[in-house]
Amino acid sequence: MDTELDRSTRRDISREYFSRERLAEHHYRSFNAFLNRGMQEVVDEKATIDTDIGDKEGEEPVHVELGDVRVVTPRVREADGSEELLYPQEARLRNITYSAPVFMEMSIVKGEEGDQRVVDSTETKIGRMPIMVGSDKCNIAGFSDEELVEIGEDPADPGGYFIVNGSERVLMTSEDLAPNKILAEYDTKYGDQIQVAKTFSQRRGYRALVLCERTRNGLLEVSFPSVSGSINFVTLVRALGLESDEEIVHKVSNDPEVVKYMLENLEEAEVQTEEEAIETLGKRVASGQGKNYQLKRANYVIDRYLLPHLHEDGVEEEDVRINKAHYLCRMAEACFELALERRESDDKDHYANKRLKVSGDLMKDLFRTALNKLARDVKYQLERANMRNRNLSVNTVVRSDVLTERLEHPIATGNWVGGRSGVSQLVDRTNFMGVLSHLRRLRSPLSRSQPHFEARDLHATQWGRIGPSETPEGPNCGLVKNFAQAMELSQNIEDEQELKRELASMGVQGIPGLEGVNRTTADD
Amino acid sequence: MANANTPENCPDCEGRLRAIETELVCEDCGLVAETDPIDHGPEWRSFDDDETNRKRTGAPLTRSRHDRGLSTEIGSSSRLRITGRKRRQIGRMRREHNRARFESKADRNQVTGFSEIWRIISQLPLPVNTREQACRLFASAQSASLLQGRSIEGFAAAAVYATCRTRSNARTIEEIVSVSYADAAELKAAYAALNRELGLPIGPIDPTEYLPRYASKLDLETDVERRATCYVTRLREANRIGSRNPSGIAAGCLYTATRTVPTVEPITQAAAADVASVAPATVRATVDNLRELAADPASGFELEGGLG
Repeated sequence: MDTELDRSTRRDISREYFSRERLAEHHYRSFNAFLNRGMQEVVDEKATIDTDIGDKEGEEPVHVELGDVRVVTPRVREADGSEELLYPQEARLRNITYSAPVFMEMSIVKGEEGDQRVVDSTETKIGRMPIMVGSDKCNIAGFSDEELVEIGEDPADPGGYFIVNGSERVLMTSEDLAPNKILAEYDTKYGDQIQVAKTFSQRRGYRALVLCERTRNGLLEVSFPSVSGSINFVTLVRALGLESDEEIVHKVSNDPEVVKYMLENLEEAEVQTEEEAIETLGKRVASGQGKNYQLKRANYVIDRYLLPHLHEDGVEEEDVRINKAHYLCRMAEACFELALERRESDDKDHYANKRLKVSGDLMKDLFRTALNKLARDVKYQLERANMRNRNLSVNTVVRSDVLTERLEHPIATGNWVGGRSGVSQLVDRTNFMGVLSHLRRLRSPLSRSQPHFEARDLHATQWGRIGPSETPEGPNCGLVKNFAQAMELSQNIEDEQELKRELASMGVQGIPGLEGVNRTTADD
Repeated sequence: MANANTPENCPDCEGRLRAIETELVCEDCGLVAETDPIDHGPEWRSFDDDETNRKRTGAPLTRSRHDRGLSTEIGSSSRLRITGRKRRQIGRMRREHNRARFESKADRNQVTGFSEIWRIISQLPLPVNTREQACRLFASAQSASLLQGRSIEGFAAAAVYATCRTRSNARTIEEIVSVSYADAAELKAAYAALNRELGLPIGPIDPTEYLPRYASKLDLETDVERRATCYVTRLREANRIGSRNPSGIAAGCLYTATRTVPTVEPITQAAAADVASVAPATVRATVDNLRELAADPASGFELEGGLG
């Protein structure tokens, strides 16, 4: 059979991949997803702004509820107070920001639980969001070439960047290690080789590194944020509700060698029951405190800091705990298999273990911190207005420049939240090819001053995704890469529940012993 | 951000200054008011490692903060984790440091006033230099001891109101009160005190200052706005403005213009009155005024003419 496409068909496909819509498509898609659902998700996570009003005796508590968020298209407010639509070229020429007003529904609620009444509820302008040129909310979206020429825009311009204070800024796609995946590898501790299973557990902008180590005497230890040092694996699993020896061994593995290792661990176990385990944990996380507080704190730490990605809306904490126990058992299995040389250590440079953070993801991080800052300001304004006995109204407590500043400043300087710098760069306008290449560039967060030879090497899994030859010479060699022409970037799904139903209907089975559908979150 | 000694208007002819590259040039007479100002921004040399912060200076000085933006803060490092005694000690230092920010009760009041001005400015919204000027006005009111017995919020609102008027960018009292914690009486009392004691360079409001804003609120085209401007000019030339509410005159002229520009959907008097925060009768008075002027053959004024 003749599998080779003929020349003209190949050329057609190639041309399609090289069209204006395709070249910066990953930027629009990501940013549109952020505008359409990412922003609302961030607002829903926040949900309320609590205040300290009501702490005093005889005072009614006040909080603010956040509702729907809405972005219009970019416009400019002139010094005389009039407001007009803004087009990208005007923003460039006048050195202004191409940004659109953001509105949010907010209601101030007064009163104790059960006896609450809304004092004021309106949709108010909370700030301005820089808008990506060419995205859905851009004023030139859907314009024909003639219309674009009419308003002074280049019809061949791919878009995909922001305009802040007149300068065009592109957000560099960054290449991160995949979160919520178990990575098994060797490490050395006190000169001995040990086996470690790592997971970067990520949920709603909170990132927690969970480590499961098999120390030199064969004992398993787990460490996670908010607990200093590490905790015995068996203790932690018992605290999560896997009590009996048999259950624990069985959940880790049925392999006789692994079972042997596991029994060693159980012999050394410090505790036998769930209560004991939680008590031991409490002593670790809140030593020197009262016993009740220790228990409370232990439960809080388990639910809050241990493997947060397993949490899901509408799922009971208890079910989540047992899932966490299962997840820890998988990590334990990975350690043992590594020790028994049943598997090799995971390859961090394998592209399956990488995720790309595109403009929308970066903007989501930014919007989250900006909204928190706004919430803190609203809280302060409310408390001040209340202290001075003024009427509380939504319009007077929201200062829109708080959010605007927090969104514009990082894009203008490149200093992103979380201390990363150089995230936004001035679009390279040396020539047209320069622009295209710049929009399709991606950066590894690894420091360029260190060797990182493996990370710089061309990896076989980059085939079809990353261009094998386009990388700078010098310190950034192999750390800055460019997309291949026919690269397709998949996006995170909208509805996780639906995905799970779909997987179940395709024959994916849940963990035996757990009822209902598989509730464990799939990797990422 | 305007430097403390950057002129705001042309020192020669009071014209508007415009920044052209490194020069500040008067738009009217072309006088170069200032050249080669110090660039407080970061330098763009690149260093070997990313971590070095290229900025050597902090933010520029500003009059809109009580300490001109020179205060420091004992922050917390995400990299360095301090625990135990040391942390408590730093916590105490932080608290004392925060307390030391204010020298006196007046200083604290100034912060309250300034943050109220920031809030009003961001809500209206007005440009940054208006904020600077309003804050300066508030500070001078404070040093002239005008605040005693009057409300801080009232002075904050009055400072914004007065600044808008001196910058020929007037806002109505109603507009400012709607976003302020002060009520109209507080604002008026504070404004009267400012005007009397500080001798503000404020004349009667020109109704044309309101036109662009009202036109954009009513979604009217520039044709209408231009004709309304023309009406206002004719009314003034015919000495028919007198002591009428300038906001009402602006609304009346806009209303009449929507009736006489043929391509435009006419608006109602109520809608015009609403954006101008006046009663419809006030709008009607201006409409009648314009009609009378047009009816007078000596004035040579026609409602349909005068465009362009």
